[in-house]
Amino acid sequence: MEDINTPAETVVGPSVKIQGDLNSEGNIRIQGQVAGTVNTSQSVHVSEGAKISADVAAGNAIISGEVQGNMKISGNLILQATARVTGDISCAVLRVEDGAQYTGKCTMNGSASPAPAAPMEKKSKSAEPEPEK
Amino acid sequence: MYYYILDPQNIGEKAFEERQIALQGYLAEFKINGEMGRVTPLRSIQSLVETASERGVKTLVACGTDETFNLMLSYLQGRDFTIGFIPLNDSSYLAKIFGLKNLYNSVKTLAARRVVKIDLATVAKSYFVSYLEFGIASSKIKDLSWWSSIKTLSAPSQQLSVRIDNSYVMNLNCLGGIVANTRSTSSESETIANPTDGFLDLLVIEKLNKYQVIKYKEAILQGQLEKIPGTSVIKCRKLEFLEPEGFPLTISGRVITKLPATVEVIQKRLRVIVGKDRTF
Repeated sequence: MEDINTPAETVVGPSVKIQGDLNSEGNIRIQGQVAGTVNTSQSVHVSEGAKISADVAAGNAIISGEVQGNMKISGNLILQATARVTGDISCAVLRVEDGAQYTGKCTMNGSASPAPAAPMEKKSKSAEPEPEK
Repeated sequence: MYYYILDPQNIGEKAFEERQIALQGYLAEFKINGEMGRVTPLRSIQSLVETASERGVKTLVACGTDETFNLMLSYLQGRDFTIGFIPLNDSSYLAKIFGLKNLYNSVKTLAARRVVKIDLATVAKSYFVSYLEFGIASSKIKDLSWWSSIKTLSAPSQQLSVRIDNSYVMNLNCLGGIVANTRSTSSESETIANPTDGFLDLLVIEKLNKYQVIKYKEAILQGQLEKIPGTSVIKCRKLEFLEPEGFPLTISGRVITKLPATVEVIQKRLRVIVGKDRTF
């Protein structure tokens, strides 16, 4: 998974309003308003306070703001506690935090690698006591 | 053949004469003498560029300030030159970008003739390699005191409308911004203002509070607006400034055009002679 915390190539500031098709080849961070479509093969981060009335297609997405539209995410989608999402979702891995609001259909195509889980410790055979015969 | 455009504009008369003499000495030393044309009230940079073109000159060198270089670019009008720059003042922004330390080093760089192709930005039939400004520009606050800076940067926001890459329209409520092709902090690894990536970067700052003015004045002066929280950063090839009509766009403090205006990048269009310490 592309590191979602890498600096965004495209940043839409809090007071900016965009109408049309926002396409980028890199990460997008949206703090303002977008109406239309949002497309990137990389990650989209919709910040708290941002409002999107757009269909979103991206590699990964973190949503903390408001989204009205369908989202097609090929990788991981994270709805954070402040997220307000209305629309159909398609993604490989979905994480919904407490407090997030979501209305719509969800389709999971779990072909992508899931979010990393805590590594399990392998028990070494020598550490286990041999049963006494 | 080299053609040198000598421009005394914005350089003290005495300093210009001294540097011109030193320049001629260095050019002879490095055996890159050529024809010199001095800008006078009767011979503009435009007429000197045309003279150079008529004479079949291959290398055109601006000797003067950043303004000389920018004006020379604006009069190229598609003519095919290799471009050089010799700064005759001490505070040249372009000299930092091109890796030119001083007069001697600039001539040495010219003689070494390391030519790189960089993107050229065009606006209103003129060209620029650095950045174009709108609204609150670095040149407006360059020489202001802290108090005046706070007053200037606390001005009401501007409402602008910009179409990007024929794809979407941005409605901005901003203090100002830049369209950057390159800047003194550019590098090949930088994603913003890289003059070899084929893109321009639109950076827009929102209204600042007093604390932010103090904290980020230097960033504004350096054109590093992305350091300021809330700055919009858009990578694009074409920008159409739509509204408000008559709003000025400037380069190094000089008004280039007024809205509506289109800014575009021409990929790897300019062949420029640079030093090894260039920023990109």
